[in-house]
Amino acid sequence: MSDVVIETRDLCKRYGGKLAIDHLDLVLERGSIHAIVGANGAGKSTLFRILLGFLPATSGEAWVLGRDSRQLRPEDRERIGFVNEEHTLPGWMTVAAVTAMQRRQYARWSQPAFDEVIGHYRVQASQKVAQLSRGERAGFNLALSLAQRPELLVLDEPTLGLDVVAKRAFLETLMHSNAAEGCTVIYCSHQMEEIERIADNLIIMERGALRNMSPPDDFRARVVHWVADIPFRGPDARLIPGLLDEQRIDGVYHYLVLDQGDDFADFLRACGARDIHHMPVSLDRAVNGFLARHHAAPVAA
Amino acid sequence: MRDIFRAEWLRYRLHAVLFATAHLLLLAFFMRLADLGQQPLNVYRLTGGCYAIVGILLGMHQTGTWRRPNQWLNLLHRPVPPKHIALGLLCAGSLALCLAIVVPVGMALAWQAWGTARVVDTRHLLVPLAAGLLATGGYLAGVYGMLADRRYSACGLVLIAWMAMAQASGAAFVVVQCMACAWLLVMVLGAFRPDPGAPPHAVLQSVVTAVPLMMGVYLLLVLLGFIGELAWIMQGSHPVNMATPPAGGYVETERMSGRDRMLAGMAGSRLPEASLWREQTGLSDVHTMDRQLGDVPVRQSMSNGASTSFDDEEQRIHWTFSHDDMRFEGIHMTDGRAAGLLGVGANGRPFEDIATPEGTLPGMQKGDVALMAGDTLFQYVSASRAIVPRLRVAPGETLLGTTPVGGSLVAISDRAIYVFDGRHLVEGEAPVAARQRVAIPGASGDLARAELVELVDGYLLSFTFSRHAYDLLGTAPRQSILRVTDAGVVTVVATRALGADFPAFYRYRTWWASPAMYALSDGVLAWSGHPGPYATYATPPVPRASILLAASLALLSLLAGAWLVSRRDLPLSRRVAWTLCCAVVGVPGLVCLALMVPRSERYVATRFRTAHA
Repeated sequence: MSDVVIETRDLCKRYGGKLAIDHLDLVLERGSIHAIVGANGAGKSTLFRILLGFLPATSGEAWVLGRDSRQLRPEDRERIGFVNEEHTLPGWMTVAAVTAMQRRQYARWSQPAFDEVIGHYRVQASQKVAQLSRGERAGFNLALSLAQRPELLVLDEPTLGLDVVAKRAFLETLMHSNAAEGCTVIYCSHQMEEIERIADNLIIMERGALRNMSPPDDFRARVVHWVADIPFRGPDARLIPGLLDEQRIDGVYHYLVLDQGDDFADFLRACGARDIHHMPVSLDRAVNGFLARHHAAPVAA
Repeated sequence: MRDIFRAEWLRYRLHAVLFATAHLLLLAFFMRLADLGQQPLNVYRLTGGCYAIVGILLGMHQTGTWRRPNQWLNLLHRPVPPKHIALGLLCAGSLALCLAIVVPVGMALAWQAWGTARVVDTRHLLVPLAAGLLATGGYLAGVYGMLADRRYSACGLVLIAWMAMAQASGAAFVVVQCMACAWLLVMVLGAFRPDPGAPPHAVLQSVVTAVPLMMGVYLLLVLLGFIGELAWIMQGSHPVNMATPPAGGYVETERMSGRDRMLAGMAGSRLPEASLWREQTGLSDVHTMDRQLGDVPVRQSMSNGASTSFDDEEQRIHWTFSHDDMRFEGIHMTDGRAAGLLGVGANGRPFEDIATPEGTLPGMQKGDVALMAGDTLFQYVSASRAIVPRLRVAPGETLLGTTPVGGSLVAISDRAIYVFDGRHLVEGEAPVAARQRVAIPGASGDLARAELVELVDGYLLSFTFSRHAYDLLGTAPRQSILRVTDAGVVTVVATRALGADFPAFYRYRTWWASPAMYALSDGVLAWSGHPGPYATYATPPVPRASILLAASLALLSLLAGAWLVSRRDLPLSRRVAWTLCCAVVGVPGLVCLALMVPRSERYVATRFRTAHA
């Protein structure tokens, strides 16, 4: 069994003049939880659609579980679970009917795994899917996916629109369920606190290109928040190395920089700074700063 | 597949039951008003159109909801082959249609068969099946419409149009429907895949998609010509709608009174008696020989081409022709009880052809009715409740109408005019032999007008052949004047060529737009049809100008097609095939190529980079 679950080589997808996936080279190892983050339009959903064979790539290649994504067979799909943000399940069917259907279709169905996951939710077998709350539907969907005992589970913003309680229940289930053991998870989300809790590997995509792949803590360590008291005018932003974000609050300059060591303090001193501090940032701040650097923002008043 | 079917059936079963109930109530209402088994073709067409629309709406709703990106992914990303998933969904949709359409129609038919004395023939058993197939065809077209690329997803409707316009009848029509549904099923199954918007990959799938698409484009081109014709009418120079039509043309001739037309036809005659005949025509009645039979009925056809029932107001019996018995079946108009069978002669033998009532003739008693069946005119005699043959045209001909002329009765068949002695018809009920027979000097399908004037020693007959002068089917319009003596000698008095009024460019528009598509549509629509006596034409060859125009369009399509395929991401064999297709099919092939094979994304990328360099 290969250790690679997903591999793309020079993968491109173009919508007219727009490049949704930009020469993407990606290798994801088996057995981890890989989080994919990126702003809207970064190409995450397009990537999933290409990987699952629902969208042809413009060029390049993509393999899932060792199979060319354009030639996935039913038995390959059995090994890949997919949960999307809408939790699209047939609303006119009862929970029991949907479960029975899935049980018959998936040869490796694990009833204990399903019972374990669904046990975290107040879902009754006789309820129609349309009668479930969004959180219950998400839990039911997760239970169905984990009961398939997939080798690869793709979660595309599964907690979108869930309240805090439902979100936590979903994550707890995913993290602590025995059913998820041995399963490689691709988790796409905009919720950094979720990613911080569950992800082993953080993949950042921007404009269809891969910008980072590392453990979340490693990425967070690359981003540092510097505070400098510069009596006169601060340095030109274009000259500040690794600058992600710049703010001036109460006459004090705040710089969010990427991949700058202690040398950055020397740079600030050279620019006239008198008092200099630096501090670590949260993953949320680091990723947001990283993704916001190329985005146009309204000019502060 | 079974699971998908069950799940989808759960979704639609309640709606199907409600629809079936409403449908049944509606049918029950209409069955109280009329005999639904004896309706003309247009009623069946309207009803069938409604069923097809129901099918289309169901297909669009079902597939439209699944076709949304996340729903589609959730549906197809499972360890079941896409075709099995498709069949599961389609079986559920078809079952819903069966319950909603076929069952109520079947129940209505059963009520008619066992609950009333109305005629129910074998042909009526096909009606629920045909209704179900129409709805299923519409359903599959609706499914395909939501599945395939929007640029050509409507082409499934072409196969519905085939069902609507096919000339086949009875069981052959059901075969046509089955073929159309099978074609649509192949189209749907080919498009039912994770990336349904992508152009077809396999050769078979490409052909199955391209043929209806090219036909659809061809029909749109023809429709475009019709829109142009509307503009022509509005502009005021359309020959049919001009206040004064072109002189010497067929429109002018058709607008004339019978007398003027006959005089115009004889104007060029050089026979010495011509001036005398013109004078007699000016003084005599000019009789128009109408063809009362609009459409010759076909045995076991589901609809009636012409009315096949009549009322005997004296006996208070409603008689309806049965295709199974080939006799009339009666119902008492007072209480709806059966009134027995009515055949030909004393022993009530079956008719050889389907009989249609054609009103009364001079000399008939109250309640009597004239019936036409094949080559024979029968008389229904109310007093004796019997049907007797009265006159017959030549074997193999079809009697199309009769016109009383003085003391005679003139009959028109698809090949000749017959004159019978009216006195013999009035006296007694024995068959009467024709006094004169004059062969029609042209094809029956071309004949637009036929008139007759009584002379002292015979008749003058005028035939105007311009029925299809506006399209490519008909002969060059002309008028022929014949004289027949009492002894039966026929003389050609004059032949007048009429102006075509419409240019060849207009008349041959359906041909030069794409000769290949014209031939295909003509062949497909006529398959297993019964052309009937009105469908014989003396079609002239296609004019050289139209051939040149078609060839020019084919050449242009070939060049444009070659240019287009060079910008498509296609293997060489496909490029060659598409280019040849453009050459053979012409403009529809070229448009089909542009719609079905999108520009490659790599080519778009190159263009984009070049534009921004």
